[in-house]
Amino acid sequence: MNEKTTHKFICVVALTLLFANSIPGLGVAQEQKTDGQQIIDQLRALQLSSRAFRAAVAKVEPALVTIESFGGSGAIAGRIGGIRQQGEGNTTGLLIDDAGHIVTSTFNFIQRPPVITVITADGERHVAKLLGKDNTRKLCLLKIDNPPQNVALTYSAIDEMKVGQWTISIGVGFGDSNPAISTGILSAKNRVGGKAIQTDANVSPACYGGPLIDIDGQVMGICVPLNPQSQAIGAGVEWYDSGIGFAIPLKELGDMLDRLKAGESIEPAFLGIQPLAGEQENGLLIQEVVPDSPASAAGLQSADLLLSLNGEAITDIMKLKQILSRMESGQTVKLKYKDGATEKEHEVDVILGTPPVPKDQPQLEPPEIR
Amino acid sequence: MNFPTRCLSFFCFAFLGVWASAQEVVPPNTDGALIRSIATTQTKLVKIFGASAGRVQGYGTGIIVSSDGMIVTSQGVYLDGPQVKVVLHDGREFVATILRRNRTLQLALLKIETADLLAFELSSEPVGEKGDWVLAFSNAFRVADKDEPVSVMIGTIALRSFIDAKLSERDVAYKGDIVLIDAITSNPGAAGGAVTDLDGVLVGVIGKIINSSETNTRLNYAVPSHLVADFVSGKLEETTEAAESVMAKPADLGIKLFALGGKRNPAYVDRIVDGGPAEIAGLVTDDMVISIGGQKIGTVKEFEATVKNLVPGEEVLIIVKRGTQLLRLPITPREAK
Repeated sequence: MNEKTTHKFICVVALTLLFANSIPGLGVAQEQKTDGQQIIDQLRALQLSSRAFRAAVAKVEPALVTIESFGGSGAIAGRIGGIRQQGEGNTTGLLIDDAGHIVTSTFNFIQRPPVITVITADGERHVAKLLGKDNTRKLCLLKIDNPPQNVALTYSAIDEMKVGQWTISIGVGFGDSNPAISTGILSAKNRVGGKAIQTDANVSPACYGGPLIDIDGQVMGICVPLNPQSQAIGAGVEWYDSGIGFAIPLKELGDMLDRLKAGESIEPAFLGIQPLAGEQENGLLIQEVVPDSPASAAGLQSADLLLSLNGEAITDIMKLKQILSRMESGQTVKLKYKDGATEKEHEVDVILGTPPVPKDQPQLEPPEIR
Repeated sequence: MNFPTRCLSFFCFAFLGVWASAQEVVPPNTDGALIRSIATTQTKLVKIFGASAGRVQGYGTGIIVSSDGMIVTSQGVYLDGPQVKVVLHDGREFVATILRRNRTLQLALLKIETADLLAFELSSEPVGEKGDWVLAFSNAFRVADKDEPVSVMIGTIALRSFIDAKLSERDVAYKGDIVLIDAITSNPGAAGGAVTDLDGVLVGVIGKIINSSETNTRLNYAVPSHLVADFVSGKLEETTEAAESVMAKPADLGIKLFALGGKRNPAYVDRIVDGGPAEIAGLVTDDMVISIGGQKIGTVKEFEATVKNLVPGEEVLIIVKRGTQLLRLPITPREAK
């Protein structure tokens, strides 16, 4: 049996023994015959799973990096951009190739540090350059020179992930180069506009930017703070360690990573309409159009009825939010609406914009690099 | 925040299984090893009630460490009132006397007058490693009273580490080994509870609520059992750090930092003092100090604090960023004038 098969075997044994008891009709007959044996195995199964956790973590440890930030807007006390103040400690990233690209979370750079260094698993410190960032997924890319070579990671595909399977979140944010882990299960897939997976393992600033892995040591995603109700830069951190944690799967992100490597900045989409509260038939009634927004540029007015976006029917505000959360700023979409005055239906192209900066968010500019 | 979703996980993992089998009329004496271990451990936990102060809760958890009624709990205001009430698993109530406290570990040793209690054995070696499953027992949120058992959660050991020195000194002066766990124990009243392995062996005592300044999040942790053992046996003496630092003279590196913009700015070198240690080491203006003696220098403030603690004449490694290069330079601090 090769190493991977062994872990799979342990995993299967552990899961089977764990859940056999809870499924009526499964394993019950056997349990009554060899009761003592069966239940001792339940405890043994948990102990075996601990060994599997450690083996899985060991597989990604060579790719884990510690990120140090220097300077930035930390001088502003209290909350930043409506979120909890960030800790003072180091943060986590994952080295994904021999060229020195590191995936991490934008959360780690909320204070916009002008200088970032990275300590790779071999103990070497590197000056890092921040390339592009994806603010819809709270991911960004760093680049270092002379990274350790042949750090081989394997990635789990979303299609292969099963709700209920083991997950392990990993991070160095507690200040020890030896990473801290938290174990749990996959709670859901297809979260936050289909961008994220969800776990009940602890996810917090201690592991944002670090990997969420499966029991085979395959990378399932990168831990990030997310809140489906808010696009704010730090939104989601208020749910830290709550059992509601998110990670962004990487395997399906090839195109997006290329854009980040090229230094692109991906921003959340913004349409610019204020809908009328309450339910309407066949669409979403506009109460107000935000001035200078993509909606006003496309000629939408109050009392117009939104019908569909890119062919997908808009039934209520939640549906519109859900559709928009899958899109990004700069994207052109086809918007179908019924004119409130003429009762005629129109289809227009709308270039989605970027949400305006909330009033409580200070305009933070990083200090000049001298 | 910190809503005990973990409790639910545990229900799914263990209790559902047990309930399912219980419905198959399994005799009680064939309970599983894990279930038996939990039931036994429950009898070694006590609920403690005392004075409250404003929003600070007047209750906590304790563990029995001797059959004649010695109890270890966490330091807290509930120990400072006129009376400390200890409630055993079977509902018996006692008034406790406080035998000893330890400021650094934030532990207290209580005594109740009774005999024949089931007690934790305190291992002199660390118990449990990263990834091991642990059970956490506590009366968080004062959920249990009288003869009700305390709450139990399951989780894994996140890391055995050293508590960071940057934690609020007011709360914890302790800088030793701690056991970080991923069950959420940083809740009111949980401190003084037990973290055990699946067999019921004590891994540590749940610590009081503290925030890590590294992450600005609450830590879920236990003070390891071997330190608890030392505390109970009286072996542990309060360390006096003051004694060490009396003799040390302040050090100087001959570096003037770019000071505009406050102490949270990065430590950029503005001027190098002629003939000083920095000039000898080869630092130049506009270098940014990254690390001194293995200590990360993120800000002007951290630079000042670190330099103050250097020993004059003792060479350390300074790492500076010059352009996109990192330079590692040996530097020998001199005595500050």
